[in-house]
Amino acid sequence: MKKMWESTVSKFAKKTLFYILITGIGIIIITPLYFLVSLSFLSSREAYQYPLPLVPAISSEFKLEKGDKGYLLSIYEKGDREYQTMIDTKNIEKMSRYMKLQLSVDVSVEKLENYISKLDQQNEVYFKSYKGLLHNYKTFFAITRDAIPALIRSLQVAGLTILISLSIGGMAGYAFARYIFIGKNALKVSVLFVRVFPAVAIAMPMVIILATIGFYDKPIGLSLVYSVGTIALTIWITASIFLGIPVELEEVAQIFGATKLRTFINITIPLALPGLAACAMFAFIGAWNETVSAIILTQFNPTFAVVVYQSVLGAVDQVNLAAAGGILMAIPMVLFTLFIRKYINQMWGGVKI
Amino acid sequence: MTEIIIPPSNLLKGVDTINLSNLKKNKNWTPYLLIAPTVIYYIFFWLNPVITSIYSSFKGVDGSFTLQNYINVFTTTSFGEAFGNTAFIAGISIVIEFFIALALALLINKKFKGSAIFLFIAMVPMAIPAVGAAAIWKTGLTTYGWMNSLLYYLGFLEKGEKLLFLSGSKFSILWLIIIIDTWQVIPSMMIILLAGLQNLSKEAKEAGYIFGGNGLTVLRQITIPMLKPTIITAVILRLISAIQIWLIVVILFGFDRIPLLLERVIYYKEELSRLDNSYQIASTYAVITSIIVTIAAVVYLKVSGAFDISKKEVV
Repeated sequence: MKKMWESTVSKFAKKTLFYILITGIGIIIITPLYFLVSLSFLSSREAYQYPLPLVPAISSEFKLEKGDKGYLLSIYEKGDREYQTMIDTKNIEKMSRYMKLQLSVDVSVEKLENYISKLDQQNEVYFKSYKGLLHNYKTFFAITRDAIPALIRSLQVAGLTILISLSIGGMAGYAFARYIFIGKNALKVSVLFVRVFPAVAIAMPMVIILATIGFYDKPIGLSLVYSVGTIALTIWITASIFLGIPVELEEVAQIFGATKLRTFINITIPLALPGLAACAMFAFIGAWNETVSAIILTQFNPTFAVVVYQSVLGAVDQVNLAAAGGILMAIPMVLFTLFIRKYINQMWGGVKI
Repeated sequence: MTEIIIPPSNLLKGVDTINLSNLKKNKNWTPYLLIAPTVIYYIFFWLNPVITSIYSSFKGVDGSFTLQNYINVFTTTSFGEAFGNTAFIAGISIVIEFFIALALALLINKKFKGSAIFLFIAMVPMAIPAVGAAAIWKTGLTTYGWMNSLLYYLGFLEKGEKLLFLSGSKFSILWLIIIIDTWQVIPSMMIILLAGLQNLSKEAKEAGYIFGGNGLTVLRQITIPMLKPTIITAVILRLISAIQIWLIVVILFGFDRIPLLLERVIYYKEELSRLDNSYQIASTYAVITSIIVTIAAVVYLKVSGAFDISKKEVV
């Protein structure tokens, strides 16, 4: 009886320990990302406080009173539980602009004048204002030259890369799965080998090659370079997918009078969809993320990754803006991954996400 | 860098292990038509730049054939340091990442309550682009960044006390890079291993337990050997990209502080582009890096016995 009780306790203790371990690992994985998200919502003033606030404030409380130079604005500091002087000025426009830039709070000049007019009757005016949480994101687009065109270009590059690598790689993958041909093994090895040569080494001579065909500094040029790696990947994945589709299915369709092309479009492609989706995802991620070749192969038309890279590189004074850029970079990837997730799940043979 | 994952089943085996009856043996031109675009594409957009790259690594400033670029690289451009740093980071990070990723994969494969949520969380770093990860660590490791704030809130640091992550000794910086890389890379490695684990037959494991093995012996004698092709795939992919690490290092520490093989390429191409021979030096570094990656990959495949595996399966 006692032994049974002991074993239950030790089982329970083991289980608890296990979950503590799991939770700990989970927290370690999530924490850095949490701070990036949190930072991207901080106002410039908050971002330069130390220690940094753990949670971005949603609203701020202000106090307005008469000061030496004009009107004195103070902000309530939750940590110290007191008001801290921010700015003392007669110029109300300046005050409004300061609040917007430093505190991410949008208070119009009229509203401030309204508060100030109350100062005739009372010594201090208190008011509360909500913070513009997307302020850093708006600023990122406002001060980063070219961010929106770069975003569109990046999507073009990714789309073209998917198109090129799926069509070319998919065809070869089908040949790998269904036919024996001379040079099959050589091609198989070369498919692995193209990934060994660093992307930079390809990109540098590509400047001249693309310039001669008129594709330098254009989305199509970049996607041609990115497709080298993704075609290789597409061949590997689609070959195994097509192998899994019984050849009999195709033969039956042909017996019933379908042409080869029709069989391929109506039978093979739908069955291969999960693998093709996975290939599309890898192509998208690869093209969206890539920075090195994009730095080398663009001049006046950078991709979004390059724009964010430059803003992060020079982000000594604007960590909250760099964080917003990093998040903006991650959003399309997360969306695309979610969008395509169910197909991937099928392909991984039941690795559930 | 976000890793690109290949389903482990088909990188080293797969294509050769086809049921031959499925193949259309008629000698028609269809397969050649199907692979022609790939071959043409590779010749034009891969072989062409590769040859150009190798060619310019042997070309002097005046356009004549020379070995001077290689001599310059080996003697004057901190090649030794770049090679040493890269080897240190790649070697240690692969070992650490592999063991943690394997442990996590085995853990999730147990299917405990909440394992789906855990898998989802474990995959989060994979969805973060390289530049996003750089932003995370750039904002985190500065003196007033979130890492010091967090340590302060957790009580590890006194008020006013700060750790200077980015200005430590070279040795500590290398370890910092390894830790950052580990955080980023483990998920993709884990997914590959997990997919491999889920494809293993349960019977072999059960037999191991029936014949009196405990958890550890079953793991060592049955699971790991059966998982070998997957492990080789995971490690080789990681090896190829680990030697090509540069972006996070440059964003955190700037150019020239921690020289790396690929960092040198970008450094000479972008930062020192005014030098007469910077393009040649960059090309030479790129060629040397490729050779090192190839040698490392081939040596690893030889040592791990990957060639034996694929030979067996061809037969």
